[in-house]
Amino acid sequence: MKEYTYIGKDVTRIDGLEKISGAAIYGDDIDFGANLLHAELVSSTEAHAIIKSIDISEALKVKGVYKIFTGKDFPYKFGLYMKDRFIFAQDKVRFVGEQIAAVVARTPGAAKRAAALVKVEYEPLPAVLDQMDALADGATLLHPDLENYPHVPWFFPKPGTNVAHWRKTRKGDLEGGFAQADYILEDTYTVPRYAHCAIETHVAVGKFDYSGRLTVWSSSQSPHTQRHLFAEALGLGHKDVRVIAPHVGGGFGGKAGVTMEIIPAALATKLKGYAVKLRYSREQEFINTYQRLGVVAKIKMGVSKEGKITALDHKIYWDAGAYVEYGANVVNAVGLSAIGPYKIDNVSIDSVCIYTNLPPGGAYRGFGYSEMLFGLESHVTRVANELGIDQIEFRRNNAIRVGDTTAYGAKMNPNGLLECIDKVTKAIDWEHRPVSQNPNTVIGKGFSLFWKAPAMPPNASSSAFLKFNEDSSINLIISGMDIGQGYQTVMAQIAAEILSVPPSKIRVETPDTDRNPYEWQTVASHITWSSGNAVKKAAIDAREQILSLVHRVYNLPLEELYLQDEAVKCTQDPRFVLPLKDFVVDGIMTKDGTFKGGPINARGMFMPEFSSTNGDPETSQGGHPNVHYTVGAAALTVEIDKDTGKIKVLKTALAIDAGKALNPDLVRGQITGGLLQGLATVLYEDMRYDAKGKLLNPNFTDYKIPTAMDVPEEIIPIIVEVPQPDGPFGARGIGEHTMLPAAPMIANAVEDALGIRIKSMPITAEKVAMALLAKKK
Amino acid sequence: MAIAHEFNYERPQSLHAAMELKDSYRNSALIYAGGTDLVVNIKEGMLKPELLIDIKDIPELHKLCLDNGTLYIGAAVTFMELIDTDFVEQACQMLHDAAKTVASHGVRSRATLAGNICSAVPSLDSATPLLCYDAVVHCQSLEGTRNIPIGDWFLAPRKTAIKDNELVTGISLKIPKEQNAGVYLKLGRYGGEDLAQAGWGIWLNNAKQYRIAHCALAPTPKRAFAIEALLNGKELSPELIQTAIALLDEEIKPISDIRSGKEYRMHVSGVMLKRGLYAAKDRLDGKIVEPAKLLGGI
Repeated sequence: MKEYTYIGKDVTRIDGLEKISGAAIYGDDIDFGANLLHAELVSSTEAHAIIKSIDISEALKVKGVYKIFTGKDFPYKFGLYMKDRFIFAQDKVRFVGEQIAAVVARTPGAAKRAAALVKVEYEPLPAVLDQMDALADGATLLHPDLENYPHVPWFFPKPGTNVAHWRKTRKGDLEGGFAQADYILEDTYTVPRYAHCAIETHVAVGKFDYSGRLTVWSSSQSPHTQRHLFAEALGLGHKDVRVIAPHVGGGFGGKAGVTMEIIPAALATKLKGYAVKLRYSREQEFINTYQRLGVVAKIKMGVSKEGKITALDHKIYWDAGAYVEYGANVVNAVGLSAIGPYKIDNVSIDSVCIYTNLPPGGAYRGFGYSEMLFGLESHVTRVANELGIDQIEFRRNNAIRVGDTTAYGAKMNPNGLLECIDKVTKAIDWEHRPVSQNPNTVIGKGFSLFWKAPAMPPNASSSAFLKFNEDSSINLIISGMDIGQGYQTVMAQIAAEILSVPPSKIRVETPDTDRNPYEWQTVASHITWSSGNAVKKAAIDAREQILSLVHRVYNLPLEELYLQDEAVKCTQDPRFVLPLKDFVVDGIMTKDGTFKGGPINARGMFMPEFSSTNGDPETSQGGHPNVHYTVGAAALTVEIDKDTGKIKVLKTALAIDAGKALNPDLVRGQITGGLLQGLATVLYEDMRYDAKGKLLNPNFTDYKIPTAMDVPEEIIPIIVEVPQPDGPFGARGIGEHTMLPAAPMIANAVEDALGIRIKSMPITAEKVAMALLAKKK
Repeated sequence: MAIAHEFNYERPQSLHAAMELKDSYRNSALIYAGGTDLVVNIKEGMLKPELLIDIKDIPELHKLCLDNGTLYIGAAVTFMELIDTDFVEQACQMLHDAAKTVASHGVRSRATLAGNICSAVPSLDSATPLLCYDAVVHCQSLEGTRNIPIGDWFLAPRKTAIKDNELVTGISLKIPKEQNAGVYLKLGRYGGEDLAQAGWGIWLNNAKQYRIAHCALAPTPKRAFAIEALLNGKELSPELIQTAIALLDEEIKPISDIRSGKEYRMHVSGVMLKRGLYAAKDRLDGKIVEPAKLLGGI
């Protein structure tokens, strides 16, 4: 294997000092001077209602209030994949917390005082708060005009119903597959909604200057996509919209696409010369950004007595909320992949995106796969146990391998799934069945596989600019966001490897869409792969410029020139060493005193030209909607208190096939963080709504996210490397995947320890204790 | 999050000046010590005071001492000070246990015990040791001093016996002379900071006298007198504890809320009572007990 200098090394984060020292600038840190105005939202108190009137007269009297805007001022629709969303509610509100108006004032306090005085008169409509109710005949329609909504060609809405999209995948002969089965298990699994809970709440500032250009400073995973949606919704040219994305205090999918950022952008267009800031409180962060979608999954699996899966019928009903412009693509992604990392010949998947009168669902780390895998990996364990086949053996026997066909007919990419299974089994000492020394507790083990593909439009692309400075340091100008994963560092490592310049001499700044080249979004765990390919191409472009210049000036054979230690060297002449700093800006002086060359500026671009969404709407066969899958396996050992139901994770191991871990330390960090986030969703987090659609826990008092006290005693991160042929140095994404196995492996461990199968998330201590009590009775 | 409500702020330098302000503003002035509840409630629009009286510059309210078997805790003493003071842990381990479970490290650095009992929520961890040690709440106004037994303090959820012109100056606990031990067990939803799903404070001495209090299981924190009466004078045994658990139906009135269903609260109270009694006995016998680990998890 090739020895690399910077790739595969635990390079220290290049943004570390900036963040640790407090030098890093976040959205709320930027000083806009005296012309800054503050916006506060007036939000719906009804889950579904006609807005009869809005009275702003009392609010306007509050000292410091500048202007108040409502839906009338902005009659525009927007959306990423389907235009079903409004800047402010128009005639109707569709969830509790939906923005109806905005007060713009000199201080945040004045804006908030006035917002409380805006009187909205509602005519309540029946609210649909459950996706299964929303599917029933005669259910109230959230979007009677659904047929008129523009959407991407791979969505299939059903006008006249609450179904916004229905992804159907059909492969083989389902009935035949069940007929071959010796055993069939059918059951239902439910998963509630979840919140991202990034440390930094959403914040955006819009400024529309007197020349007619809009600048938006936004805490975002998607500056270019935001620019595009702002331009589209507000009727501006792209060159006149500029999005500046400072450092982001966490995203987890919640800052992908556009949610609240469009509000200050739109308000600014009516307040020329002012900057308008909207900063969400924690409560607003819970109520009116994207949420993870809720799921009811019905699984029917047939298996032969030898342990081969003969058929899978997977029906997944998604509570997608009031607007599905982003969430419907979660539904789509899972509808293509709900076989899990298994080879199954006879498949039917129905993934149904359903409007409900709850906040909009959207991207959340895992993009639907966590929800899908909770049911599927629970089911696989049960089926194996029913057959009396070891669940690891069962998984090995059915595991998808390179060249096998996926549910939609494309070939599976190279992967190290079996190696992951073996390494996790060994790390967790699967065969060993420890017995608790504490009479109050029992010990159990759980296992789960996982897989996930990036969900992207087939033409999602990345690009990179690279420029050399006089001292051979580099500015790498790219537009992905470092949301904690270490993006900037890894991109610097890629450029460093090609150009022989250490990462510490490479600066990567947060993007500004005026100056940085196009990037689709920092989502889908695709950024290392996609942006990494663009950076690699830019670095190769720079290298070619450098070497061809040296070749031209010194008349050395091009193929003998190479870069090492920030210098051009020659394989045939060890004495030839030309430091990059001598010429990458100033050029090379020749004998006659003239200079050749000049500043080295390079560019790179990557688009997956093989990807296509042209599958058959009835079967999803044909096309190549997913670029590749990342796979892995995980297991854990838990100790459960039989009386309180409390679960303690004693040890957990997770193996992931990263293709090539460009920075193993960062991969291990993702494994730790992802597992912790996943364990929280299964052990204690969930969003609870009352019968009127109001969120009961929009705060950290009653929505619990893990603390340092909640980290498992031992975490074993395992990196497997089966190269991704089209990845930079063989890399593929791993960011989201690390949380995917957490929920099913806890459910599986609870059953292992107590003989109780819990089929709904979260699996709280209370749920376990009450289930045990019920079993005793 | 912006504070929409406008109010005045005073930081009196003497107790007398603070009492004068409280006397003239009455219910429209609120006492500001840690502010960890107060500021959040103002932000959320649940409280709209005209005046905040910051008592942190009044020297005598910072007093924390153990004199002649009485532990005195001034109104401005924070939970972190209680946790970090050796004589508090030695004199009243149950209070030390409870203080460590209140909120998070950051909040404990500001929040005060006096502020905590003034907020008087049903899930008040710190109430259980105060109830078990028959604490006295010292209130002062321009009219004089009132010493209110903790048993008379909690009237209803978020309602105490304090008058509108009074402020709490301190809390005192009588530390029993005989050999005794206590423990506080708190059940929360995870390892981090949480409001109690259920809390049990359990005390006993070498004469087999028991004092037991609970929180989050009734409208106010309470002593479990019927269970105490059953246990008093008796050696702990599995049968005795089962009989005590059978009394829970009368002793506690749990409700279902977002933190827990009432059935779980009822069930887990039996578990906590049992493990808490044995833990207190272990401490009496000189064994080391880690209350946080007694209920599983973390």
